[in-house]
Amino acid sequence: MQSSNFPTIFSITEDEIDLNELLAKITLTSTGAAAIFTGMVRGETARGEAHQTDYLEYEAYIPMAEAKMKQVAEEIRATWPVIEGIAIVQRIGKLFPKTPTVLIACTAAHRDTGVFDAARFGIDRLKEIVPIWKKEVSPDGQFWVEGDYIPKPGE
Amino acid sequence: MNINHVKLLFFATLRERAGTKFLEMDLPNDLTILELKEKISTEHPNLKESMKSVLITINREYAFDEAVIPQNAEIAMFPPVSGG
Repeated sequence: MQSSNFPTIFSITEDEIDLNELLAKITLTSTGAAAIFTGMVRGETARGEAHQTDYLEYEAYIPMAEAKMKQVAEEIRATWPVIEGIAIVQRIGKLFPKTPTVLIACTAAHRDTGVFDAARFGIDRLKEIVPIWKKEVSPDGQFWVEGDYIPKPGE
Repeated sequence: MNINHVKLLFFATLRERAGTKFLEMDLPNDLTILELKEKISTEHPNLKESMKSVLITINREYAFDEAVIPQNAEIAMFPPVSGG
């Protein structure tokens, strides 16, 4: 199969992330492996300054975020041409502990193709260049979470 | 034409400090991003501090101080991203 026919899904949504539906869309007859990363709202944080979280409120610059997700998928394909399907989905709105907020899944023929690294790269890159922000609301007040990555020209 | 009519979008902390998601502005032609930041610092004192670390995009691509703002651009201003 030509790589141009490989499915790429990217979206910002207010709806629940449906892993099974997404996985079905990026599974081809040649697929034998999928690496899936999903992040969720953590209600109790132990690392660093221990604290509790009531909920997170996400917002996105939707048209640019979807364009940058497409760019992340293109970067994955440039580094790992054997990757078959890619799904990148970010849920926005008010999300409570234990709720999945983001999903990145990559499929390939076999597990030793770089498929784990590809999914890892995808979530790391999303956190660098895709315009999404979250405000944390806790018993102690609320604050915006800010990243520390400054995009470079061409990113 | 010597006026550039642009849309300016704010997100996250910038949106809260600006008190709005969206502004329309008339800019002089050939204004750079650096000059826009200076103009906003002067006209919107609430945003002056934010201009030091703000990320800016022109037509949905990251843009830097030297970039010249094209006609009818969609400009966005926001803090470093924190998705996931």
